[in-house]
Amino acid sequence: MGTLLSSMSIALSALEAEQTAVQVTSQNIANANTVGYDRQVTVLEEGAPTSFSGLLLGGGVSVESIQSMRDSVLNLRLDSETQQQSSLSTYVNGMQQIEAIFNEASGVGLASALSGFFSSIQALSADPSNSTLRQAVLNAGSALAQGFNSASNQLQAAQSGTDQEVAQSVDQINDLASQVASLNQQIMSLQAGGEGTGELEGQRDEVLSQLSQLVGISTVSADQDSVTVTVAGGSPLVVGNQAYQLTTGKDAATGMTQVYSQGANITAQITGGSLGGNLQVRDQEIPQLQESLDNLAASLINNVNSANSQGYDLNGNPGGDFFTPFTPSASGSNQGAAASMSMYITDPSQVAASSDGSAGSSGNLQNFMNVQTQNIIDGQTAQSFYANFVGALGESISTASASAEAAGLVVQQLQNQQASVSGVSLDEEATNLMKYQQAYEAAARVVSVVDDLTNFVITNLGAS
Amino acid sequence: MGIRLNPDLYQTVLQGIDLLQQEENNDLEQMSSGKRFNNLSDDPVAVSQLVLNEAETSNVNQYLANVTTLQNSLQVADSTLNSVVTALSQAISLGVEGSNGTLNSSDEQTLAIQVSGIKDQILSLANTTYNGDYLFSGTAVTTQPFTEDSSSASGVTYNGNGSTNSVQIGDGEYIPVNLSGSQVFTPTGSDVFAALQGLVNALQNGGDVADATTQLQQVFSRFNTQRTFYGATLSRLQSTQAYLTQEQLGLSTAQNNIEGANISSVISNYVQSETALDATYQAAGLISQMSLLDYLK
Repeated sequence: MGTLLSSMSIALSALEAEQTAVQVTSQNIANANTVGYDRQVTVLEEGAPTSFSGLLLGGGVSVESIQSMRDSVLNLRLDSETQQQSSLSTYVNGMQQIEAIFNEASGVGLASALSGFFSSIQALSADPSNSTLRQAVLNAGSALAQGFNSASNQLQAAQSGTDQEVAQSVDQINDLASQVASLNQQIMSLQAGGEGTGELEGQRDEVLSQLSQLVGISTVSADQDSVTVTVAGGSPLVVGNQAYQLTTGKDAATGMTQVYSQGANITAQITGGSLGGNLQVRDQEIPQLQESLDNLAASLINNVNSANSQGYDLNGNPGGDFFTPFTPSASGSNQGAAASMSMYITDPSQVAASSDGSAGSSGNLQNFMNVQTQNIIDGQTAQSFYANFVGALGESISTASASAEAAGLVVQQLQNQQASVSGVSLDEEATNLMKYQQAYEAAARVVSVVDDLTNFVITNLGAS
Repeated sequence: MGIRLNPDLYQTVLQGIDLLQQEENNDLEQMSSGKRFNNLSDDPVAVSQLVLNEAETSNVNQYLANVTTLQNSLQVADSTLNSVVTALSQAISLGVEGSNGTLNSSDEQTLAIQVSGIKDQILSLANTTYNGDYLFSGTAVTTQPFTEDSSSASGVTYNGNGSTNSVQIGDGEYIPVNLSGSQVFTPTGSDVFAALQGLVNALQNGGDVADATTQLQQVFSRFNTQRTFYGATLSRLQSTQAYLTQEQLGLSTAQNNIEGANISSVISNYVQSETALDATYQAAGLISQMSLLDYLK
């Protein structure tokens, strides 16, 4: 048989439960615009019933838990897409700087310097003793050399710019790793005490998503409470409450920042995120472009020098080098050819146009023109090689842009899905609020009725 | 209960506005530049073609410039040789006059002086320069090709060389652009100066004037044949010029086809994006600022 007092205590438990629910609703509304906040739901539980003379009487209500609404699988997918998208868009940004160096679509680049040089030779062939035309050949040669210098220097500048971003990214990664470790620690100790950790887990998810912007990571939840994070195919970043800081150092040969984990150089293994994208630009694309540019410069230097050496200058002296000669390294690399390209001759009379030593002969200029028409590099003419060079550069940017755009759409889609699970809807909170308010009012009414009944009992029984 | 949606409607709207603005930017860029692309990555294949097109255009422009340069110097050479022809005809007339047997020795001396004057005139023509270069010294353009030389039978020595130049006027197409002075004026057996000197000698010394005149006529006809080289080259240059101008036009059309924007379609795209953007803005404005919370009392 029930008692008035147990009714009172059931009503009290309802008041408490509804109060908690209102507080959770208030917290949701307060964080409606907080990035990374997962909406919370109050989960109520029926109080354990007690058996009384064969009757099972309810034990009121209690708050079972406060749940953060989160789809962990979706979050993992979102993180992995974010890593991909961030890597691609960083790559595209980096490559767009390089595109600007060779933007033949707007007439920027080496094409006009190349054709200008060959044109100047053509012009001289029609009037080989003309000193103005000879000077024009020197000017065009010098413009070509400067074009190569400037392209090479700009490539280097782009590489150092990217290098600085690499160093900055590593600092940010370390900072975020420490945050994850510290959140792991808090979550573990709270859970050990049996307390809810939904909000902290939400914060940790947000930090992991920021980390995914920066670098490709793998996360493993060993158990519910702690997340292990690794980078570059298995190097630890966070294990439990411990963050393993990445360190940096300059490569002795290239001067480029290298990334170390526990003393091991992991630079080449890093993929994903803005760091992955920047490393791809810095360590793969730029060196490759630089190499092509150097090879083209070296080939032009050698061939033009050889053409000039086969003839005679205006004064009938045998011709020599036209550009400052370039000697490849012992390993055969042309590194530095474009950056150091310069005129060797400075006097217009030294252009060896003549094939027989007479001032008016243009016979040797054919050897110069052959430099234009012959396949002097990789089985192609200099100009075809350059056309393919810019074509390939544009192609890699355009492909990456398309992929970045596609990955961006996937990320947006997943973010949308995530928000549909975790986002705070004010309408929903308002209906909850009404529901809790009504329940609270009803419970308060119960308290009041039980109070009346109790008074009635006390008053009437005392009077008799 | 229905499917829960992303409660943040603004996010979706913003993404839409972003995309539309990007498209508008792209269209505006095309309209202002008149080009279909402004970056390498917009159309790498086309830019690659553009580079090769520019190389070819630059060549053709230079071929055309060369043709003009050559036309100028060849015209000077051709008209110089025309004057030589006139002078030689006069000398032949004088020879014919001297060989009719009715002239006395003093008349013949006068004729000899006239022919000698013509020889000096031709010598001076053979030393014609263009832009400071001798036209008839082979490739030794800084050396005066013909000088008076009393030790030589003709009274004139050739100091130039026998070389000639070729100039490129098309891809792989070279055209010889000069004859050496020795080819034009002093080929063995047809030496212009020797023939003139022979006539002078015959007139002065009572020699066989008729025979000397006949020899001069033979030299003259040989000379005439030689000099057609310049006329023929000039006319070849003229047709080359016409062809190159055509090619220049073709290359410029090709360039326009590669990079020119289709302005009418760009404008129509722009208008479409603008309409869509406008609609999105309006929709964004209509998203309710209120929620159920506003109705709680």
